[in-house]
Amino acid sequence: MDERALNEVLRTAGYIADEGLTTTLWFSLALGRPLLLEGDAGVGKTAVAGALAKALGRRLIRLQCYEGLDLQQAAYEWNYARQLLAIRLHEHGTGIGERDLFTLEYLLERPLLAAMTSEVPALLLIDEVDRADEAFEAYLLEALADWQITIPELGRVAARHIPLVVLTSNRTRELSDALRRRCLYYYLDYPTLERETAIVRATLPDAAPRLVEDAVAFVQRLRREDLQKIPGIAETLDWVRALHKLELRALPEDPETVLRTLICLLKTRDDRFQMSGERVRALAEGSRSGVVAASA
Amino acid sequence: MSPRPLETIAGFAAYLRDHGLAVGIAENQAMVAAAVAVRIEDWERLRAGWRSIVCHCPPEWRKYPDLFEPYWFPNRLKGTAKTDGQTRARRDLRQVIADLHDDLDAQARPAAQADVSLTSTAASGIEQPGERARGGASRCEALANRDFCQWLPQDLTQLERTVEALAQRLRRRALRRLRNDARGRRLDLRRTLRASLRTGGEPFVPAWRRPRRERPRLFVLVDVSRSMETHAQLFLRIARAFVGILDARVFVFHTRLAEITPLLASDSGRVQEKINALTAGFGGGTRIATSLADLVNGHARHALSRRARLLILSDGFDADPPDQLAYELARVKRRGTRIYWLHPTRDAAPTAPLASSRDFIDRFAPLYDLDSLARLGQIFEQEAR
Repeated sequence: MDERALNEVLRTAGYIADEGLTTTLWFSLALGRPLLLEGDAGVGKTAVAGALAKALGRRLIRLQCYEGLDLQQAAYEWNYARQLLAIRLHEHGTGIGERDLFTLEYLLERPLLAAMTSEVPALLLIDEVDRADEAFEAYLLEALADWQITIPELGRVAARHIPLVVLTSNRTRELSDALRRRCLYYYLDYPTLERETAIVRATLPDAAPRLVEDAVAFVQRLRREDLQKIPGIAETLDWVRALHKLELRALPEDPETVLRTLICLLKTRDDRFQMSGERVRALAEGSRSGVVAASA
Repeated sequence: MSPRPLETIAGFAAYLRDHGLAVGIAENQAMVAAAVAVRIEDWERLRAGWRSIVCHCPPEWRKYPDLFEPYWFPNRLKGTAKTDGQTRARRDLRQVIADLHDDLDAQARPAAQADVSLTSTAASGIEQPGERARGGASRCEALANRDFCQWLPQDLTQLERTVEALAQRLRRRALRRLRNDARGRRLDLRRTLRASLRTGGEPFVPAWRRPRRERPRLFVLVDVSRSMETHAQLFLRIARAFVGILDARVFVFHTRLAEITPLLASDSGRVQEKINALTAGFGGGTRIATSLADLVNGHARHALSRRARLLILSDGFDADPPDQLAYELARVKRRGTRIYWLHPTRDAAPTAPLASSRDFIDRFAPLYDLDSLARLGQIFEQEAR
């Protein structure tokens, strides 16, 4: 599959990727290397993995990282309850040996192992890897380098198909250089005006084109303001959806009306506080002139 | 004659390394593999492909276009400046890829890959980032003793590294609260019992806890009065590193106090502008005691405790009555907060307010160059004992 085809299947899967991202995804597939995606919250990092799995027809296996994540929750765990049950059942019978208890039958697969043993090629999404602690990151290095997991009681479990791995990080903690250097890196930024308009149009085809243009241009300008929490794509979609529900065909002239709907975009008290009717008017008028300039 | 394609790619890797990117043999090999993977007509894709291979963090990501363009397309730049000694080499990316594909046709791929590692080692040498030799002169030495006033903006990476080292030495204190930890020493009975349900009531997997350990909270007060004009700029940079690395809260004062932590936390070139705007209304003179009272009564009322450290970056010239500073410092001291007074001169200025508050200040320390900043680490360590 070449890049154009990849871009096309991603689009069909509902993700509009820009050229740089498609190229990186293509290289990740071609070179068989994990991909580390970084960027602010809400720019669509997780969505990339979902769309890619859908586009390539791969099974999506997701590992959500958090502080204190350990091997048992990430890779595998013995099913003690079942082992005990087996022992009890065999107490009066032929008896059961230790070897019978430590087999794949009694092993609970967690995402890492599941991605390795999957019958069909899988896409492993390791989400918010920065939240996991360093010990887990070190363990991940082994798994990603050799595509195998060592289970002391069973031995080495090698991957049937090498999974495509996508890691995402919000940079709440610096990842180690070792992990970074094993991955291809892509910094996902906020989308450009054209791309965001295309995303909103694709997701909300019923919304009036003028409304979409106005709203997206407004959000683009809003992102340049000095905000604590910059609105992401999900927020734009929420806002346009809300405006569409209000049966608006374009952004309202009255800044106060717009201000009331900004709860969809501004998520902290400080941001909400600094946004006045006047600033909204300035942002909206800027967006109008921008649209006029674009259509002229 | 054009150099061999592998050498050209290794040359680009060396060039990136010279500009601070961590490009080693593995990256070099991946770059070649990527060049092999693209078709000759798609050569422009390599720009994005290589970017994802050689960049490992956002600053590198942003820097890359400024490195790629001048290297491969020096003619596209206006007023071509010679960047290094390699500009004479012929650099046509399309040609490099075409040559590479030709080479591959001629020989087996594994042989070509083995060649890469040899070429890259020979052509560029294996250097670690940050250890670049520059004609026998080391710049670390010079930086360590250079006064902050003489610094250039690009020297500030070194500053960040020093503050990171400081962070390591700022001891974490054990709190009474516990957290889950597999290597803890206290048994968490509730979680152990809960987990035992899975194993039929047999507590196979004990759960452990250990005391939560936290770093002391830092409060940094930067004097931005007229007398500190030459130093304030760099003190703010230090404060900024403190915010990023040590999660400190930073305040500026001359006649009033204002918190600037949020301004320093965002990585924007407009920081100085905003701080200027914030302090524009301040009258002349310095009122350290009043500003300190503001901090104690308002901004950090609940946070100044045994777990807090207060760093005051000032020369000690105060327009308030001399005893008032002692009074305010005593209030802070009573809450168990340790107070450090950092002065921009080699010795603390013999001002009346400082003389009367000596008893309440845990340490005086000079802060005028990197060495003195690094020495703060020793002071932090000493106090923890």
